[in-house]
Order: sequence, then C-alpha cells, then structure tokens
Amino acid sequence: MSVDRLDPAARREAPPVAVVDASPPGQRNRAFHVLPARHSPWVLTTLSVVAGVVVWAIASRTLDSPLFPSPLRIAQALAESIGNGTLLADIAISVRRIAIGFVLGCVVGVPLGLAMGLFPLVRAFCDPVVQFLRFVPPIAWLIPAIMWFGIGETSKIAIIFYMTVFLVLLNTMSGVAAIPRNQLRSAENYGVSGWQLFAWVVFPATLSYSVAGARIAMGNSFAAVVGAELIAANAGLGYRIVDSGQWMAMDQMFGAMLVLGLLGIAADRLARMLAARFLRHYVHAADHGD
Amino acid sequence: MAIEPLPRHGDVPDGSIAVRDVSFGFGAGRPSVLDDVTFDVPSGEFFVLLGPSGCGKSTVLNLIAGFEQPTQGTILAGGRAVMGAARDRVVIFQDSDSLYGWLTVRDNVTFPLRVQGVATRERDERALAALRVVGLKGHEDKYPGELSGGMKQRTQLARALVLDAPILLMDEPFAALDAQTRSILQDELVQLSVTLRRTVLFITHDIGEAILLGDRVGIMRAGPGSSIKETIVVDLPRPRRRGSTEFGALYERIHQSISEEVQRALRREDSLL
Repeated sequence: MSVDRLDPAARREAPPVAVVDASPPGQRNRAFHVLPARHSPWVLTTLSVVAGVVVWAIASRTLDSPLFPSPLRIAQALAESIGNGTLLADIAISVRRIAIGFVLGCVVGVPLGLAMGLFPLVRAFCDPVVQFLRFVPPIAWLIPAIMWFGIGETSKIAIIFYMTVFLVLLNTMSGVAAIPRNQLRSAENYGVSGWQLFAWVVFPATLSYSVAGARIAMGNSFAAVVGAELIAANAGLGYRIVDSGQWMAMDQMFGAMLVLGLLGIAADRLARMLAARFLRHYVHAADHGD
Repeated sequence: MAIEPLPRHGDVPDGSIAVRDVSFGFGAGRPSVLDDVTFDVPSGEFFVLLGPSGCGKSTVLNLIAGFEQPTQGTILAGGRAVMGAARDRVVIFQDSDSLYGWLTVRDNVTFPLRVQGVATRERDERALAALRVVGLKGHEDKYPGELSGGMKQRTQLARALVLDAPILLMDEPFAALDAQTRSILQDELVQLSVTLRRTVLFITHDIGEAILLGDRVGIMRAGPGSSIKETIVVDLPRPRRRGSTEFGALYERIHQSISEEVQRALRREDSLL
C-alpha cells in the first residue's frame, strides 16, 4: 500500500471532523466534546489505523533502509508466510501455549483467590508468598523455567500460567472483599448453608472481578509468550521474530509482530463480547447506580 | 396500588420482640454504643425506633436480626432467645445493594425459598403473590439494575414477605428515596401492615414518618451509651394525615424530646473538646 493510495481515503473521512468548525462560535467548544461520542466508533478507528500506516510508510520511504520495510513489503511477507503455511503454524503454536497456560492459570487462580478472600487463615498463609511473587515478573522466570522444563511446551505454558494466576487470584480476592455486606447478611438471614452462600452469592458476586483479572492476563499473555519464545524455542510467533531478525528478514519480523498485535486485539474483543453477552448482570448492584 | 391479602402458609406464629437490658460495644476501651436498652414489642405491633443519627438505632436492629451479639442482656424473638440470624425475622435494608444483581426480580424474591428447598412451581407462585402485593407484577423478569430506587425497595419487601416471617425489621428502608416515592411507599406500607398484621420494627430518623406509620414510637437517647428515652403511643386513627392538629401536636412533642437529646450530645462534645 502506498501513501498516495491511502491519502484519498483519509480525506474522505475528514468531513465529520470538519463539522466541528461549522458550529456557531459560541458552541464550538461544546460541539467538540459532543462530536467524538457520536462519531468516534468507526470513523476515528479507521482514521487512527490509516494514520498509523501512513506514518510508517512515510518513515520507511524517507529512511529508505532494508531495516525499515514499507507496509507493502510487510504485507507481501505476510502473504508469503500465509502461503507456505508457516504463519498459521506459528499462530497455532503460540495460541495453544497461551490458551493452555491461561486456562490453567484461571482454574487455579479463581478458587485460590476465593479461598484467600473467604478464609482469613488461608489468606494469612498465602498472602506473603503472593505479595512477593507478584513483583517478580514472568520474564525473570524465563531462564529457570527453561532450565527446569526444557525448551519445549512446558516452559512456555508455565510462564503464561504464572502470569495469569496472580492477576486472576488478586482480582478474585478483591472481588470477595467488595461483596456488599447486605448481600451476605440477607443470605445469612434466609439461612443459607455454607455451600449455598458460596455457590449462590460469593461466586456470582465475584465473577466480574475474576473476569476482569483474566482479561488483563489474556492481554499480558501475548507479551509473555513472545518473551518465552524469544529465549528458546523452535516455533511460534516469538520464535519467528527472533529467527527473521537473525536472517535480517525485517519484513517477516514486522509481519509476525503485526499478527501478534492483531491476535491480542481479537482475543480481547472476543473476551469483551462474551462478557457483555453472558455476564451483563454479574456486576455488583452498587455499580448499577439508581 | 390495590392491596390483596397475601396467602398465608400455616398459622401465624408469635412475632413478639423483647429486648432486656441490652448493651453493646465494639470491644474494650471503646465507648459502648448501647447501654441497658429495654423495650417490648407485642406480636403484630408496628413499632418505630426513632432517634438522632448515630444513636445506635441500626445497631439495635442488627442485634435483633442476629447479625451482631449483645455484650450484655438478652433478646427474645417469638419468645425464643436470639442466637443468630433466622428466617422468622427478615431484614429490609436501607441500601438496595442487598438485592442480587445477577438475578431477576423473580429470582431475587424466590431466593429465600430456594434456600429452603421449596419446589420451583410453589416458589414461583408465592413470589408472584408477593410481587402482586408490593405492586411489582409485570416486572418479574427485570434485573435490579433496571429498576428505580423505589422498585428496588419494593423488591426487597416482596423478598421479605415471601418468607411469611412473623417479624419484619426495616432499617430506614425509605431514607434513600425521593420525597414523592417515599410518601407513596409509606402509605402503601401502612395499608400493608394493617392487612398483614405482622410485627414491624421500623427504624427512622424522620419524625413525620414515625407518627405516620407507628402504633408506638420509641425515642432513643443520643449516643454513645444510648438507651430508650421514652415510648410514645401514637393514638391517632388511620389513615393518618400529616396536616391534622393532633399530628402536629404529637410532632412537636417528639421534636422537643429529640432536640433535647441533640443538645445534650452537642454539650457533651463541647465538654470533651
């Protein structure tokens, strides 16, 4: 894609922004605040993407260096790697690592967070370890993980798991602390058993917090998997970045980075969509307002 | 709203409340909240506990509900000593955050029955009856987040009524509502309490509300170390009108009594400074 081809598109999107100037002088400021809310969704999103590509293209043309390939070159490299199947294979491997580590992290993080939130003794026991480890980032564990688990799948999954588990756990724990006292007292009033209190009140009341933690973890998983694959791997998007870099195949490298970013956005969008669809009411009544 | 009698399930049990020499504090070294609180509420009476803010009204309610344990004294509900929260005394909170946001109005109201293991069909029938009583029929499938403040409090009331509890403990249930909604709900509660004849312990700091609703009004002293200062019988025919002379006279009398308490509290704070 060249700058010339993108420019008219950018100009076509321009008029809505120009509307700002069409408003009477006194209201100009107000209109400026109102406009983004009404028009931002796809117009500004498109503009933002187009601007990014344009800036990249200009930089690439100005520098004219093989280290800074044009958007077109990157697109061609991507098409090539789709054609020969390496891209899909890399995606599949990285996504699989993320998925397994992420799911395991949630499966361990949610119950542990609930237990720490509910039982002071469990909290007192686990909290020092959790508080300590949350400040030791996953990257710090890369080398030990590879030494312990080898360069295969286990070390990567372990890193993703490590990252996910703390985010989910800490969020779930604060979710328990945020349950309105009246909800617990009502349940007590109706004579719930311990199990009913957990399944019918505590778990649903905390769910939105756990999901929020999981969403952040999902985003960070992409960073973590690349980190793990950078150090030692023979496949995956992170490996592709290192490998292409070593061969000076910058277009391939940036292609892999682009795919990584897009995958991250897709995963986050999917998570948000699912949450909006199935968890709409799983927020605290207090958050609804009156 | 048309008041329909709520179908009863079994005989009406004893709904009396007896609070005897009850004291309460949040631990040694801190001033006690309540000192020797004593009062009786006979079964079926509408008793209002009135007092300046911070005097410990809600604490009294929490003790009767069984959410807190008195440091001294005894509390009897239906003739039995209160050992903890139970279904014979249902609380309606000031904050509607006690409703479960992930459940529909119907499922919120059936929640106490689900806990008891009542069959789905009977649950839904009883919930519908309770919702009809509080004027929420047609809103069963809404979520609390979709309700107005008044409707949330109606849902809380329905959830309490569905249990057929002989005692209702209402902790300033209308305090957070706008004046119009509050007035409507007060009128409806008066009608409701007449048809249901349950014991109601109603907490408020609003003198007008106390006279409008109560058979008797217990006035509390200013805290700390609060107790019941006096109990006044509201001997006015129902429905009561805020504009009537008798209403005004009683209002003045209670206002005087509470003002003394507020003055006393202020003087005490002054002497502490």
